[in-house]
Amino acid sequence: MMKKDECVKLISAEGFEFIVDINAAMVSQTIRNMLTSPGGFAETEHREVRFPEISTTILEKICQYFYWSLQYASGKETEFHIEPELTLELMMAANYLHT
Amino acid sequence: MSSQKKKNFQIEAFKHRVVVDPKYAEKTWKILEHAIHEIYNHNASGLSFEELYRNAYNMVLHKFGEKLYTGLVSTMTSHLKEIALSIEASQGALFLEELERKWTEHNKALQMIRDILMYMDRTFIPSTHKTPVHELGLNLWRDNIVHTIKIQTRLRDRLLELVQRERSGEVIDRGLMRNVIKMLMDLGPSVYQEDFEKPFLRLSADFYRGESQLFIESCDCGDYLKKAEKRLNEEIERVSHYLDAKSEVKITNVVEKEMIESQMTRLVHMENSGLVNMLMNDKYDDLGRMYNLFRRVPNGLSLIRDVMTSHIRETGKQLVTDPERLKDPVDFVQRLLDEKDKNDKIIHLAFNNDKMFQNALNSSFEHFINLNVRSPEFISLFVDDKLRKGLKGVSEEDVETVLDKVMMLFRYLQEKDVFEKYYKQHLAKRLLSNKSVSEDAERSLILKLKTECGYQFTSKLEGMFTDIKTSDDTMQGFYAAMGHELGDSPSLAVHVLTTGSWPTQLTTTCNLPPEILTVCDKFKTYYLGTHNGRRLTWQTNMGSADIKATFNKGQKHELNVSTYQMCVLMLFNNGDGLSYTEIEQATEIPTLELKRCLQSLACVKGKNVLRKEPMGKDIGEDDTFFFNDKFASKFYKVKIGTVVAQKESEPEKLETRQRVEEDRKPQIEAAIVRIMKARRVLDHNNIVAEVTKQLQSRFLPNPVVIKKRIESLIEREFLERDKDDRKLYRYLA
Repeated sequence: MMKKDECVKLISAEGFEFIVDINAAMVSQTIRNMLTSPGGFAETEHREVRFPEISTTILEKICQYFYWSLQYASGKETEFHIEPELTLELMMAANYLHT
Repeated sequence: MSSQKKKNFQIEAFKHRVVVDPKYAEKTWKILEHAIHEIYNHNASGLSFEELYRNAYNMVLHKFGEKLYTGLVSTMTSHLKEIALSIEASQGALFLEELERKWTEHNKALQMIRDILMYMDRTFIPSTHKTPVHELGLNLWRDNIVHTIKIQTRLRDRLLELVQRERSGEVIDRGLMRNVIKMLMDLGPSVYQEDFEKPFLRLSADFYRGESQLFIESCDCGDYLKKAEKRLNEEIERVSHYLDAKSEVKITNVVEKEMIESQMTRLVHMENSGLVNMLMNDKYDDLGRMYNLFRRVPNGLSLIRDVMTSHIRETGKQLVTDPERLKDPVDFVQRLLDEKDKNDKIIHLAFNNDKMFQNALNSSFEHFINLNVRSPEFISLFVDDKLRKGLKGVSEEDVETVLDKVMMLFRYLQEKDVFEKYYKQHLAKRLLSNKSVSEDAERSLILKLKTECGYQFTSKLEGMFTDIKTSDDTMQGFYAAMGHELGDSPSLAVHVLTTGSWPTQLTTTCNLPPEILTVCDKFKTYYLGTHNGRRLTWQTNMGSADIKATFNKGQKHELNVSTYQMCVLMLFNNGDGLSYTEIEQATEIPTLELKRCLQSLACVKGKNVLRKEPMGKDIGEDDTFFFNDKFASKFYKVKIGTVVAQKESEPEKLETRQRVEEDRKPQIEAAIVRIMKARRVLDHNNIVAEVTKQLQSRFLPNPVVIKKRIESLIEREFLERDKDDRKLYRYLA
């Protein structure tokens, strides 16, 4: 059902590298498009995406969100906690990433 | 109050680059423009999706969506214009390939561009009601490439040319065709229809019009149909391989119209190969093909049906009016059955058991069978022949099959009551001479008649069977009771017939020889002793006898003769050389019967136990008859009886017909009374209609006769005429 356990590297503005499962990353429509777009964009070649505008903290939270989203979709209804001070940036990033 | 560690809720300024730079939009756009160029030039591998996406995102976010969109449109347009030039420049066969290649590339580029500009697609476009990127790309392609004059015409011509080549047998690149056609379909249904489908249909119509003209002049019907079928299948296959499925119906309509509909009348009536020829020669394949092709066009099947109907009626009419055929009733009926079987097979094998054709067949048969008034009689004779000997040794299933076929012909008869009359006569003869091959078969047919026509039809027939059985029992009783008294008397077998059940016979005079008379009287006494209040009359015209005769050289023969013949022969025990007049006086047999009887005894070769002077076939009143000592036959038992069911002679026919008409009168009257009792008041035309409807399962009443019956009923005060309206009748209780 799932693709082979492939990973993709998400790199934050500060250079932190988050290695996540490809299915998790594809929760973001933007990332999904990126990876499935025809034509050889650099990202697809190397399987890594840089986000110079997203900070590490936010990117970390986003990755957590990816995994939580997958779990929620498969039935586990838990809460996803968002620290209030992160809200605005998180929303912007979410908008950007179409998540 | 414990000071909770409250995180400062601060809204910080955008971490994103603040727009200070007025040329920001321009710069960002340039990056994207450059990217688009690269994409079109297949140089995308170096680019970073994220960066481009972010740039586009930012432009939209900062309200430069309009600029982005406009820029996109102009960039794409200029690229497409270049592409158009390159396509136009390609030569001949490469034109389509170039077009296809560029189209594929364009699609890929378009998708990439859309992906990068996804944010704009999602947010800016819906709010400004602009065309989304993907659709925009298709529209630009359409406007700048496919609809440029040069390319448009060339494309259409090229596509149609390839189709035509394929139609004349060449192999073309179907994959290429499919992709190009799909491109047109993707650009919008109107593009496909205007740029390809309409011209395609027009061209095809012209082509097939020409083909049909060519073929119709050079082929016969069967070949033409094969060709038409082939073309039709070709077109269907073509659509499935590289055209829009919705075109299938349209192109098949074209083929059907040009090749089938326009020529169908001519095809059907083609001499020596048309429909009639196919029907006569059982050409199932050709007929099946014609059926499948013609059902696709309006009125196709009705044309076939009409021609077939008139053919069957014509053939049938010839069958029933051919004087040669009428000489042998059994053969006549067999031919009718053969004709029906033949047509059934055609309808089954070639016309898919189509009800319309079955109905046409039935109505045709009904029409021509009733053209010959002797049909009921002949059908009864056919049955008679089968039940006498035709079904000997035949398996039970086959017997049923034959009887079912007879029933089928019976249903076609309009004058079922005439059939009933003849059937009764023939059945009587069969039962009395014990000539029926199988009682089970007889009963089976009666059951079928009962199911078809109701109890009244067969109640008398069943009565006849009962009488035979009862008679057997009576004979046993007779010999048990009186056997000792009879001694040397000739042995007797009597069938006692209930008058109502058996066909009416006029009793004739006949003087039985004394030996016979004695034993007959004894029987009569015995019977009337056990059955009170009944009257017995001997039916001398229906009996038979077995006589032992000794001839000159001492050969003995057993002769099976009719009662009349027996009476005549017994006279020769007392003298030889009897004249016609003497015989007539002694036996008192009516003239016509006597002449027939003497004829069968003296004039038939191999059965001439009497000799006639003068010699000759006809019996004259001055003839003298002698016992023929020289009679010889191979067999010990010789049959000279004349009690076989035969085709009626003219006078007999008239007589039967008269009786039938007489029987119909009370039936019509009963129907009129039934109707009037229910309706109370009814006008003349309606009475006639209702009576006809009620009686149509037995016969078709003549309106003149109905009128006469009404008048008779008025005389007998069952009905009265209305005082004001002469056409209105009233029921009198």
